[in-house]
Amino acid sequence: MTCRRRLAAGTLPIREAKAPIKRRFLQRHVSQVALSPSLALIAIFLYGFIAYTAAVSTTNSKAFPRFDTFVGLEQYWRLFHTPRWHVAFTNMFLFGGLFLLVTISLGLLIAILIDQRIRAESFFRSIVMYPMAMSFVVTGIIWQWLLNPTLGIEVMMHQLGFESFRLDWLTNPDTVIWALVVAAFWQGCGLVMALFLAGLRGIDEDIWKAAAVDGIPAWRVYVFIVIPMLAPVFLTVVVLLSLSIVRAFDLVVALTNGGPGVSSDLPSVFMFDMAFRRTNLGLSAASAVVMLGTVLAILIPYLYVETRERA
Amino acid sequence: MIDIRISNCNKNYGSLRVLKDINLEIERGEFIVLLGPSGCGKSTLLHIVAGLDRLSSGAIEIGGRDVTDVEPKDRDIAMVFQSYALYPTMSVRSNMEFGLRMRGKPMAEIRPLVEDKARMLHIDHLLDRRPSQLSGGQRQRVAIGRALVRDPKVFLFDEPLSNLDAKLRASMRTEIKKLHQSLGTTAIYVTHDQLEAMTLATRMVVMKAGEIQQVGKPEEVYHRPVNLFVADFLGNPGMNFMKGRLRLEGGRVSADVGAATIPLDGYAFDTSPTDGQAVMVGLRPESVQPSTGGEPFALTLKPTLIEHTGSDNLVVLAMGSEEIVGKFPSDMLPKLGEPVAVGFDLSRLSVFDAQTERRI
Repeated sequence: MTCRRRLAAGTLPIREAKAPIKRRFLQRHVSQVALSPSLALIAIFLYGFIAYTAAVSTTNSKAFPRFDTFVGLEQYWRLFHTPRWHVAFTNMFLFGGLFLLVTISLGLLIAILIDQRIRAESFFRSIVMYPMAMSFVVTGIIWQWLLNPTLGIEVMMHQLGFESFRLDWLTNPDTVIWALVVAAFWQGCGLVMALFLAGLRGIDEDIWKAAAVDGIPAWRVYVFIVIPMLAPVFLTVVVLLSLSIVRAFDLVVALTNGGPGVSSDLPSVFMFDMAFRRTNLGLSAASAVVMLGTVLAILIPYLYVETRERA
Repeated sequence: MIDIRISNCNKNYGSLRVLKDINLEIERGEFIVLLGPSGCGKSTLLHIVAGLDRLSSGAIEIGGRDVTDVEPKDRDIAMVFQSYALYPTMSVRSNMEFGLRMRGKPMAEIRPLVEDKARMLHIDHLLDRRPSQLSGGQRQRVAIGRALVRDPKVFLFDEPLSNLDAKLRASMRTEIKKLHQSLGTTAIYVTHDQLEAMTLATRMVVMKAGEIQQVGKPEEVYHRPVNLFVADFLGNPGMNFMKGRLRLEGGRVSADVGAATIPLDGYAFDTSPTDGQAVMVGLRPESVQPSTGGEPFALTLKPTLIEHTGSDNLVVLAMGSEEIVGKFPSDMLPKLGEPVAVGFDLSRLSVFDAQTERRI
């Protein structure tokens, strides 16, 4: 044990002999004492309210939580018989799948392009990173304007002379999901690119030299050697993006507000709507619990792999 | 027959001149070691031969063919790196096969070749493991194996043993030497370890600040260094230097180093000496031995410090205001402060001009 750690833990013998009993307790447990306020806050406001939400989901609460209306798992039964929930839940996977695919593949591609020792690298890096500084609300509004057929890209193309150009993603229920994907990609690409770029920079230069001497074409080095070496980065990226997919709320509210109709609904929007507009707290709580389950289904395997690698 | 010819090779990074007009001819089958302190340009020179770095001016020929603008893969070379540079996501077998597969060689030919070389390097039992499951020495064997299967015209080694511990380094060194003796392939080997250079090289090239200082057989470079830098860089413990002036009297030359006058009758001068010329007289510690009475030149000196290395005793001796180190046999243990008779092997002397630092 290093001296500093022993000092922190209060087991350094000189101190121990002199300190009165009360101070000795503090010295021994200084880290626990320092952490306890935040632990208490997390216990109450995170885990406490998760439990509370789970409890509410077993009641027939309307505008306010009422525990005298216990209905068991009926809210879950209702949830899975609500067509709008199915749209929202399916959308989460549709949007999530497309978003993951587009963001990872293009983010990796941009990282590879920037890694080619290009000129003005920091300029390009900044351009890709800047959208990350925007909140999803701002992102949503920007893309709402850009995709608006009466003032965005479509008008610009018409003015340029392409009269037949149409961009009706926002008004077409079949394509509105793409509007979400494009906006989310625009915002999330910077982070993904930065993670991949860091991974690429971490690869030993000698590997490239060895491949050059071996006569392996660059694309094959990427496909067979470099990209497999980036597996841990992929895992991190997938987890980060997956969590942002489940949490996605502000983007949808700002960009489409779930429309047209409910065609771009996501579970988080559904939950918010049920709780605060439709005064159906019980159903809302049930959807929240299902979302938590989805998050855990993603997180637990990741944590399992991570902790096993560390051990 | 000349296998590699490096002519008037220059390499600049902006205004920084990394290599200055390098000329070197390497015969087929030679084992050339590039030796020098870090930053002397030895690795850059190797990379230029490999084609991994472009030269600013000059030309490289391999096997009589101008390869200055040829891609590394078409130069018929193979390279071993300090960090091994194995492909971590592939098995040992795939690592060795990959280069050949990329060249479109049929698998039926690759398989036996890889297994043969793996047996040669004693890694045949490791073929299905990943590099991360191997020790440093095993990884470097795999890296050498990957170079061997290519059967290249030239092997390039970039400090291949620097990441290994001392003991392993010594055994790998002998293995590389054996390998070269049995294959006879031309090799260029970069290192900053003089022991590796001395033991492996058929000829060594000592470099400093982008310039070649001396090219020659290891013993020649060791015993007849052309300048102070080479003399000082080689040898451990380093060469003793005594500041002095030449004295020419009646056709006899001697060097007055303050505490003594060293006769230079038997010394083969490269340039004619002048009276009063400021010089540095260099003598390696192993040429400073306890006197047996028979030497033509001996002094009585006081030991001030003794270091035991096991095989020898390194004795620091006061000589006027300066100190010199003698390498005494381990059974000869002089007492501190008690003068001992020390014999000098003057046939091993090196004399340098103090101004130009060149051998005279």
